[in-house]
Amino acid sequence: MKREFPPQPAAQGLTVGKLARLAQVSADTVRFYEKEGLLAPARKSAAGYRLYGEDAARRLRFIKHAQECGLSLAEVRELLTLRTAENACCTDVKSVAVHKKLVIEAKIRTLQTMSQALSELIARCDGGELPLDACAILAALEAAEPRRAPQEAPTP
Amino acid sequence: MIRVEIFSTPGCDRCARARQTLKAVAERLEAVSWREVDVLSELDYAVELGVLTPPAIAIDGVLVFPSLRAPERLLAELRRRLERADNGGSPL
Repeated sequence: MKREFPPQPAAQGLTVGKLARLAQVSADTVRFYEKEGLLAPARKSAAGYRLYGEDAARRLRFIKHAQECGLSLAEVRELLTLRTAENACCTDVKSVAVHKKLVIEAKIRTLQTMSQALSELIARCDGGELPLDACAILAALEAAEPRRAPQEAPTP
Repeated sequence: MIRVEIFSTPGCDRCARARQTLKAVAERLEAVSWREVDVLSELDYAVELGVLTPPAIAIDGVLVFPSLRAPERLLAELRRRLERADNGGSPL
């Protein structure tokens, strides 16, 4: 079932503070997402306060959860757009998720390589309280050939 | 034999369409092998090659087209490699 994301005019409307409490985020977070164009108030009160529809809380929870999954704001925006796009389907959303997983897996491997490099350096140190100019780790860093990244994708 | 591998996401219509068109291109040439790789079932291999945005194409174990390209680009690349191989050039 497709749900509409643009805020629906609520009878009273939620202020920034009420919306933030409802979605369990800070008021600053609400303002930030609004500044980023991910959220918009349904209307303004007579006094000029921003008032949000009930749907804004659901939208906020969606953004928060997506960010917890490691999605960038641009990716969240893409998902929000897909969610309301007429011709989009679940495979479009899956593509975003697969892309993100590939990015994360590549990062994990890079971090593992870095961790391994650090293990090798740490293994060189015998401990003790030698002067810094006798430090095996510093010496190895000075002498070592630059390590290559695990895989660099060539551009066609 | 030039080894072409296309990395794609299962169930992705865009990937499926691209696979068909690109496969037809590869099959027009002799000495080209074609393999379809599901990025999720061969995740380690896909990540090792640097695949980030399927559908992507690797040739001889190197990611040459990191994202979807027109079939003409693949054809031109394969022809270039075949020509080079015919001339006794070193493999790319």
